[in-house]
Amino acid sequence: MPEIKLIPEKWVDRYSDYLFNFTISRVNDPIMAQDLVSETFLAGLKSAHRFKGQSTERTWLISILKRKIIDHYRKSNSKKGKAEVRMSYLENSDQNGDWMEEQVRDLRNPNVEDEIEQKELGEALNKCIAALPERYATIFVQKTIDKLDTETICKEHDITASNLWVIIHRARVQLMDCLNTKWYKKD
Amino acid sequence: MSKFFISCDEASILSTRDQYNDLSPKEKFRHKLHNGHCIGCRSFNKKSRLFSRTLNGLGWVKLSNPQKNSIKEKLKAAMKK
Repeated sequence: MPEIKLIPEKWVDRYSDYLFNFTISRVNDPIMAQDLVSETFLAGLKSAHRFKGQSTERTWLISILKRKIIDHYRKSNSKKGKAEVRMSYLENSDQNGDWMEEQVRDLRNPNVEDEIEQKELGEALNKCIAALPERYATIFVQKTIDKLDTETICKEHDITASNLWVIIHRARVQLMDCLNTKWYKKD
Repeated sequence: MSKFFISCDEASILSTRDQYNDLSPKEKFRHKLHNGHCIGCRSFNKKSRLFSRTLNGLGWVKLSNPQKNSIKEKLKAAMKK
């Protein structure tokens, strides 16, 4: 495997949406998710000298992000963190109800079930995307999620349009197979 | 004849491109013609359409450009240090 070098200048364009999706499915707070992504990049930059080039940039950044998410939960589960959560709840609400009860979702509501199912499906898909070769994953995300035009992606990756469609086609086939085993056959 | 008839490999790529509305009218015609007589490609096309529907229904969350720029600024400042 050729040694991989870090290119921090491209991190935001290449990985921020992927990391953001990964984070939001775990912390459920867009502002916190953005902060965690930002902190991940900064921590990555700080510890860049420790990167040995044995994994891809994305895998390495995800491992940093996972630690950041664990730290976030540790903080919010500490006494001080719980107090901060309660304070922010009271600031945003003029009601005196049981805040914990209000935060719990009503599972009998079918819309909530749909939402949960969609969330789980999204997580399964994210895992499948993570299992793709990095080049495939980046190009698939840029075309399908970021909706970038073909020309822009081809220029960035220095490939022809037909190469791009072959890559997207292969990525989709792998994702369909992966979802089939991880999601549809799980019941 | 080869102008109209395409192989299954070509048809599957056209099927993928069709999910992104990237086909010209000619390519659409060739694709339909192929699917008309090829059960395998018709089945793949159906799966591909379902997959696209699943993807579109997920409502991906993305960072906005100002959010990305704010992260870029922080990263740039840290790189200068």
